Amino acid sequence: MNEIVLKTEKLAYVYSDGTPFRRVAIDDVSIEIEKGELVGIIGHTGSGKSTLIQHFNGLLKQTEGTVYVKGKDIWANKSDIRQVRFTVGLCFQYPEYQLFEETVAKDIAFGPVNMGLGKEEVDRRVRQAISFVGLDSSYLDKSPFDLSGGEKRRVAIAGVMAMEPEILVLDEPCAGLDPKGRDTILELIKQYREKTGSTVIIISHSMEDVAKLATKVLVMNKGRVVAYGNVDEVYSRHNELVEMGLNIPQITSLFVRLKEKGYNVRTNIYSVEEGRKELLSILKGGREND
Amino acid sequence: MIKDITIGQYFPGNSFVHKLDPRAKLIITVLFMVLIFMCKNFYSLAFMLVLLAAAIAVSKVPFKMFFKSLKPIVPIVIFTTILNIFYVTGGTVLFSWRFITISTKGIFTALFMAVRIVALIISSSLLTYTTTPTMLTDGLERLLSPLNKLHIQVHTLAMIMTLALRFIPTLIEEVDKIMNAQKARGADLESGNILQRAKALVPILVPLFVSSIRRAYELAFAMECRCYSGGEGRTRMKKMKFGLNESVTVLLSVVSIAAVVLINNLFGKII
Repeated sequence: MNEIVLKTEKLAYVYSDGTPFRRVAIDDVSIEIEKGELVGIIGHTGSGKSTLIQHFNGLLKQTEGTVYVKGKDIWANKSDIRQVRFTVGLCFQYPEYQLFEETVAKDIAFGPVNMGLGKEEVDRRVRQAISFVGLDSSYLDKSPFDLSGGEKRRVAIAGVMAMEPEILVLDEPCAGLDPKGRDTILELIKQYREKTGSTVIIISHSMEDVAKLATKVLVMNKGRVVAYGNVDEVYSRHNELVEMGLNIPQITSLFVRLKEKGYNVRTNIYSVEEGRKELLSILKGGREND
Repeated sequence: MIKDITIGQYFPGNSFVHKLDPRAKLIITVLFMVLIFMCKNFYSLAFMLVLLAAAIAVSKVPFKMFFKSLKPIVPIVIFTTILNIFYVTGGTVLFSWRFITISTKGIFTALFMAVRIVALIISSSLLTYTTTPTMLTDGLERLLSPLNKLHIQVHTLAMIMTLALRFIPTLIEEVDKIMNAQKARGADLESGNILQRAKALVPILVPLFVSSIRRAYELAFAMECRCYSGGEGRTRMKKMKFGLNESVTVLLSVVSIAAVVLINNLFGKII
């Protein structure tokens, strides 16, 4: 078993305690994430996904429980919390709204400069980060406000990658992008993980994307973890997922229904390509009906 | 820091105060503010404070909320108190050393001023806690409607106010989000001297202005798409009612003017 880089123990967080707006955002969350894993977090709007990830780098302080990053309680020493934020890089939803500098290069450098790195190291990281997000170095001197929506998004993600965090957390990195932009971002994240070997945690609404990318899936509902395991394990509980208002991929639901109709098919199919192969093998008479 | 701002915050409830017509509440609040400055001795001041406490009790808004709204003005209260103690002279001199003199009148004035400021904030907080911003500006618009005759566009002003109030929570949320995003990139907002702190605000203010301007454009478009063209001929979904409850409460506050004047003269003025 790999080293556990992130662990939470009975984590709970309550918003606006003591007012009529009191709301338990997350409750009793205990998870372990291993090094190099790509964890997809799925859940309905308001299920506590975003609240959970803000605990990973100490932006929110839990009401109860503990967060361990690389085995250390992140709140053990309050002054070390900035260091935790460099280890756990968090990229929020619609990160393009955080851009503020005159040039792309300066904006990406914001994180590394805050880390107190030397000029050369900052420069190296900026160049590397911009290549991670698939833009060439001609972008570095442009104003971030002149870029297109998708490009802004990528620059903002690069700003987090430039800190070279051991754990990269992304909150809906594809929200509001067209299908092509979405595929590009997901591909870049995948490559980033392969190149750097870092742990990646992604919040996503799209069950298809999670199935394609993730090594592990975490399902949240009403502030609690309802399932945590590898893709097949979690998606095999499709009835529960549908009940929670989460849609399993269309192609998977097609095969689930075929199975219910009595056809002998696998149900762990998450892409049309896999589905085509499975159907062809049946149509060719490779397997008999039960 | 941002969570301390409670202006324009609404505290949901279903009390008598919540249900009162906003125009009545506005009138009473203004009357209260005038009265609290008319108090010239401890008895009349205590009388006004009892009225305020009664209003709070009826509203069922927890007292904690008012402490929260007082937090940002603590420095102002301390500053005026100190100023009044040293600058107001009269009455018996209690302490004198070189150019510093402290007199009874100074101490009383300082005390009265502190209580007045606190009561001012609490009463206006009570108004905003029990009235939604929309109701408040609607009430204001109706109260000021006579100004239309002077060609002052009351509706436009009220709309500007409604929008401004409406966007306070949005802006707070936005600032929170941007701050978190920059903190996640290691921005240090809490330490350093004034210059460093001011500089640390740039990564927050620039995105905030950009998104505010974008939002203003979007809002203007959305309003125009729904055929908004100013106040003329606009009808309301919720009709305001100035009924018996309102008449009685306003009448009672007018009576309390007489009460304060009476108490002031009865027991002698001390400031």
